[in-house]
Amino acid sequence: MRTFRFFILALALPSLGASVVAQTPATPAPGQSLRAAASGATSDSLLNGGPAAWVQIPAKRVSLNRTPPLYETDEPAAQEISTAEVRIARTAGKLVVQLSWRDVTQDTATLKQVPNTPPETRFRKVQTEADDRFFDAAAVMFPAKSSSDALGPSLQMGDADHPVEIYYWNAARVAMLMQAQGRGTTRRTGQSFPAAAAYQNGQWTVTFELPELSAGTPMAFAVWNGSQEDRDGRKYFSVWQVLE
Amino acid sequence: MSKHQYAMVMDLNKCLGCQTCTIACKKLWTDRDGTGYMYWNNVETRPGLGYPRQWDRIGGGWKDGMLQPSPLPTMEDYGYPWEYNYEQRLYEGSRKPVMPSPAPTSGVNWDEDVGSMNGDENYFFYVPRICNHCTYPACLEACPRKAIYKREEDGIVVIDQDRCQGYRYCIKACPYKKIYFNEVTGRSEKCIFCYPRLEKGMVNACAAQCPGRLRFVGLLDDPDSPVHKLVLKYRIALPLFPEKGTQPNVFYVPPFNPPKRETYGKSILEDPRLPLDYLIYLFGPDVKDVIVRLEAELSRAQNGGPSELLQLLIGRDAQTRYHVRPQLVQIQG
Repeated sequence: MRTFRFFILALALPSLGASVVAQTPATPAPGQSLRAAASGATSDSLLNGGPAAWVQIPAKRVSLNRTPPLYETDEPAAQEISTAEVRIARTAGKLVVQLSWRDVTQDTATLKQVPNTPPETRFRKVQTEADDRFFDAAAVMFPAKSSSDALGPSLQMGDADHPVEIYYWNAARVAMLMQAQGRGTTRRTGQSFPAAAAYQNGQWTVTFELPELSAGTPMAFAVWNGSQEDRDGRKYFSVWQVLE
Repeated sequence: MSKHQYAMVMDLNKCLGCQTCTIACKKLWTDRDGTGYMYWNNVETRPGLGYPRQWDRIGGGWKDGMLQPSPLPTMEDYGYPWEYNYEQRLYEGSRKPVMPSPAPTSGVNWDEDVGSMNGDENYFFYVPRICNHCTYPACLEACPRKAIYKREEDGIVVIDQDRCQGYRYCIKACPYKKIYFNEVTGRSEKCIFCYPRLEKGMVNACAAQCPGRLRFVGLLDDPDSPVHKLVLKYRIALPLFPEKGTQPNVFYVPPFNPPKRETYGKSILEDPRLPLDYLIYLFGPDVKDVIVRLEAELSRAQNGGPSELLQLLIGRDAQTRYHVRPQLVQIQG
């Protein structure tokens, strides 16, 4: 099995500038691997078929960590979300990942669609409804290219030699594919991807359609809680999990 | 540090609160989707709530080299943009009067001309506000995306709309609350000091349209520019809230001589209509020396002496008020 590295973020550190951290090489400890179950279902039915499409797919509970305060003006944030459940289905040419977590506040909105006509030709403009709300979000990150290095990408959005792809879903905006090669370099590619989300009984269930990924690929997960003003690195994150 | 620094001086003794600058800016820059509530340039009545309301008390800026925390103002603090039901009245046969919707409960300059009382006399004055294009911008420091930069050629602070992800740390950090979040684009935006106009040799739209001729524009480091003379040579213009630590490049000539009833001719220091404490609150303790200098200059002119300063403050023509240097950017090419 390929080796990889991950960072342990010391939660007490006052800023990330001073952080980083112990590298832990070698094989993942028990519980840091993810099983992808082969599924005869189509990715469309996995995305939109509801819980019934997923009954055969085993769930793995993944611990979520809270990033430490990143900026000197940040108040420390409570750990409101401690775990997420991950289900992975391998289907024709796709990897479909379902992430579910408990979140007592559903932070979402239906943003008004902007017409295709230029604003100067319209008597009325679409208006900003609120300037101070943040939406729930989630993401799956994995290396953009396979690597024979002994070390995998940094957990902090990869690094210059190990770019990462981030499949980002947001409760109020379109799902978007992002790329990064280190902290602060994340950029939108302009591409979207199929995703589906449901909020029920205080729980988000979000399904991502990813490309086929080979066994041994490390994957990491992140969850943002809008009511905690989460955005950017202010979030919950898992350490790398290796796809079996 | 920028090679040059554009600056603006506004003479508050000349501002008539007409909001022509506000509309000039709005028509040019913020008549787009998501920008209805934004006024990159606003004119607020002081004393008053300001826009967004209580912006001067909620935080941000620097203290002892550290950014200071601040909440985000709410839409109620800015005021929701409202629309009028013209269609129903004009085209659909409604007999009801044209009404705004949603019902306005707050807004930019909501408390216009309310002012305050000093003894038995009312007083107020106007403070036009734009981004201060600070020498030490707190917004720039706060942005984890490095989306905000200060232009090396002229010191104008701008937000790269491609890099911005709408995280809004900058809005919290700005002690003047002059950055606005556009929910439609998901990015933040602000006054750009009309740099596309400056690069063509034209002055900022807010200055060009000002009927009170109270705005002066030029490079702070150009000895021939009016802003250099007002700020550094005659030292009669001050920034707002200098204690916020960002070193603004927008300066104000404080209101210094409004008459009180029946005591015309007495100065603000002898018989103030505007409480000096309020001016000190806005402009810091140096405002007292500025008023002394302005009154001395006024007295000299009233006694028939020459005064380059008062001629400059009158600002009869655009050549006097503006020194725009488009070649700065062209050289950068």
